Amino acid sequence: MIEVRGLTKRYPGRTVTRNAVDGIDLEIPEGKLVTLLGPSGCGKTTTLRLIAGLERPDAGEIRIGSRLMCAPAEGVFVGVHHRPIGVVFQSYAVWPHMTAVQNVMFPLQSGQKRMGRTEARRRAMEALEMVGLAEFADRPAPALSGGQQQRVSLARALTREPEVLLLDEPLSNLDAGLRDRVRDEIRSVQQRLGITTVFVTHDQDEALAVSDEVVVMDHGRIVERGQAQDIYRCPREEFTARFMGISNSLPGTVQEGGQDMAEISLAHGRLRCLTPAAAPVGSRVNVFIRPESLRLSRKDSSGRGWKGTVEFSIYHGDCWDYHVRVGDTLLRSRMYREKVGLAHGDPVFVVPEEETAIAIADKIAASDGAVADKDESWAK
Amino acid sequence: MSLISRSRPAPPPALADPRRPARSTQGLRGWFRDPRNLLLAVVALVVAYLAIVPAATMGVASLQSQFLSTGPVHWTFRHYTETLGTADFWTLVGNSFGYAAATAVISTVIGFGLAYLVARTDTPAKFFAQVAALVPLIIPGILNTVAWALLFAPHTGALNVLLRDVHLPAFDIYSLAGMVLVQSMHVTPVAFLMGTAAFSQMDSSLEEAALASGAPPLRVFRTITARLIRPAVLSAVLLMFVQTISTFEVPQLIGVPGRTFVFVSRIYNALQAFPTDYGTVGVIGVFILVVATLGLWLSRRLSGPGAGVQTISGKGYRPTVTELGRWRWLGLAAFVLFFVVAVALPLLMLVWSSLLPGYEPPSWSALHHLTLSNYREIWHTPGLVDSVRNSLITAVLAGAVVTVLSSLVAYITVKTKARGRGLLDGLATIPLAVPSVVMGVGILYWYLSMPLPVHLYGTLTILVIAFVTIGLPYGLRYIVPGMAQIKDELEEAAAASGASWPRTFWRIYVPLLVPSLAAAFLYTVIVAFREISAAIFLYTQGTQVVSVTIYQQWSNGSYPVVAALGVVIVVFLAMIVAIVRLLTRRFGLNRQ
Repeated sequence: MIEVRGLTKRYPGRTVTRNAVDGIDLEIPEGKLVTLLGPSGCGKTTTLRLIAGLERPDAGEIRIGSRLMCAPAEGVFVGVHHRPIGVVFQSYAVWPHMTAVQNVMFPLQSGQKRMGRTEARRRAMEALEMVGLAEFADRPAPALSGGQQQRVSLARALTREPEVLLLDEPLSNLDAGLRDRVRDEIRSVQQRLGITTVFVTHDQDEALAVSDEVVVMDHGRIVERGQAQDIYRCPREEFTARFMGISNSLPGTVQEGGQDMAEISLAHGRLRCLTPAAAPVGSRVNVFIRPESLRLSRKDSSGRGWKGTVEFSIYHGDCWDYHVRVGDTLLRSRMYREKVGLAHGDPVFVVPEEETAIAIADKIAASDGAVADKDESWAK
Repeated sequence: MSLISRSRPAPPPALADPRRPARSTQGLRGWFRDPRNLLLAVVALVVAYLAIVPAATMGVASLQSQFLSTGPVHWTFRHYTETLGTADFWTLVGNSFGYAAATAVISTVIGFGLAYLVARTDTPAKFFAQVAALVPLIIPGILNTVAWALLFAPHTGALNVLLRDVHLPAFDIYSLAGMVLVQSMHVTPVAFLMGTAAFSQMDSSLEEAALASGAPPLRVFRTITARLIRPAVLSAVLLMFVQTISTFEVPQLIGVPGRTFVFVSRIYNALQAFPTDYGTVGVIGVFILVVATLGLWLSRRLSGPGAGVQTISGKGYRPTVTELGRWRWLGLAAFVLFFVVAVALPLLMLVWSSLLPGYEPPSWSALHHLTLSNYREIWHTPGLVDSVRNSLITAVLAGAVVTVLSSLVAYITVKTKARGRGLLDGLATIPLAVPSVVMGVGILYWYLSMPLPVHLYGTLTILVIAFVTIGLPYGLRYIVPGMAQIKDELEEAAAASGASWPRTFWRIYVPLLVPSLAAAFLYTVIVAFREISAAIFLYTQGTQVVSVTIYQQWSNGSYPVVAALGVVIVVFLAMIVAIVRLLTRRFGLNRQ
């Protein structure tokens, strides 16, 4: 278990108003994998490095298990090499002057509890076997592929049987195909060992795939946290909705409130939407619609379609993204079909799917633009 | 317990371990407990001591009424007013600046010209120029000077004999022009290396863009290439100037016989005289120091940040090559001429004189006298073997100390965020700006005047201290880029594996740095082995090093033995240089 209270890290040597990590409270339950998700510069990697002890916090407390790791207020700081952790770095950090097995043996021979060469080798081999690399044990590290190096790095982080596994964007240096395999490997090992794990990433698909729980971060703060499927299905914050790739957003007003649903009136018509928080009738909301929830058709058979024109299309292989201008807004619609056959300038009707769009209270309207800078970094 | 079978949850519940906080950092005591901070403090002190002492002592000596005397001492500007007021001093300034400026311009023009041919044209046989570039490493300055003195000795010099045979006037080497010639030949290869670095690091797409804009090649050279290279040229001129103004051998061996004095020879001769005028020496020393510092500072500013490592880093790409057509044979001629003049002539002269019992110019009749007796003589010349041993000991010790010290400095400046690391970096480069002569005299003054518990004057230690100080910036030049290439994560991964800092340094950094460490070590050995400008002031009976012995044997007129010893030294240094080359090449390829 990891417990973080009021963790704060200032940017070194700069007088910036924002902190790199700005008073984070976080609990990572025993045996769970929690993802820190956010755009670059949101403080997720800094948080991980603070937990590892690679950086010193300016304020706050970190506990691993029941032991206090650092508390600047009390002058407590346990050095990295005294913490019960294993770390996997973005760049693998596999030592190039050693073989795979030597890399994995290092923590057993240089750590706080040391063991003999044969015992260390035996355990290192077990760890390599676990990540499916036993046959490459005596290869020099640079002779391994990126994916293999990252698995060596994982084995190395685990041989010492740490209480906590810390993964800093472990997949982002890998090719697309390998990424999925190493991701699956990480998740399967983590669940088999039941090790408490923090996984840092900027990729929402990765986060959804591996996590028990997702923590979304922005500007050094936690935006929201929850089970992966909840974060995906019904995000509570605009930032999360945008970051999860729900790119269509339309302003609207609540017509009829409900428990989890509300009837929203938009510029082009009405739509039943999910509401993560209570939405009083008459309040202003932003409605977020997934591209795959917008269907396109040439005829408006349902009578609910919004009339627009096709601007351009992007082909993804398994789907098409059509950008359609409806009034002043450009909407993105995703079609999982081989051939759609729409071209620039074609008139088309956009039909929104009911009960999948999310209505989130419009904070800008509510507070008169005071949080106007909130949106600058969502695009990444 | 194996990894797979381990049961979870493993850690025992609750209750903070009372011993934990004791391991943590607390206030000042904690600061000292982190080995890295202690290291920073120690390294900073050592580097500061080495860097500041010589120059500062020189400054103090120039400001004291008496130095090294029992009488009362007070502060005064007397030495400055007296020295700067004499016409003699300004003749000295004129000579020195003329000598250094002419050398700097000539060597830079030749060096950059050749560099352009090598880096940016299709001139054949670039090999000649590249081998010639190794000369200053392989042929110590003192040997180069000796060889040129033999080539152009007024009556018997081989080239002068040749000139007379074709009815041309002989060239008097013992003149300002002679000094410029010899020193230029010695430093041109350095300018060539700087030029090669500058030309091959230039992004050729800038020139291609100009060509694509319709500019003819000559115009591109004038408006783009020449403009881009200008800072590097100016920087090279200044560097050659500083190097020339602060070395000993040419002014003493070539200048003094022709009564042409410059700063360095004046200092040396003033220190030989009795009673020694320490104050005047101090004033001249401070003057050179100021000139050198200014020159180096300007040179740095011109070549921009990171210029210090320019010569050994270098990107993988090959800049586009200009085709010279028929003109490339002219380029080839330039290579061959440069090779012959800078390498072949001096080396052949050394070999030739080493094979004759007494010096005579090359001729058919002289061939009958060829003998190897001079090589045997090396063993019987008093003090010679001792001086070789002294040189080896001091050079190897200095190499070892420089390697350790500069790897620690490099670690602190590159890998930590410790406060004061910028200052440390600055301190470690100070010795570059302190001319070797000032270094020698400053160290001499310091250890003569300070009531230190251990008496170092007259020991080999004092020479090692000088060589370490001189070698430190060069050591850093090899190790800093090597250190910078190692990703921080490799250290962090070791710490996260539970390894303490010293263990991390030993198991991760040292093995990864082996090529840079070895190159730094060997390069320092070469620098120390050739060094004479500081050693000439620091040796005493019994602590002579080989460069000093060569100078003395030369002064005694035993040319053949000097030549034989020279040949041996050149072979020895050539072998070390070959190893360094091999190492740096591998190290350049293996790690990205």
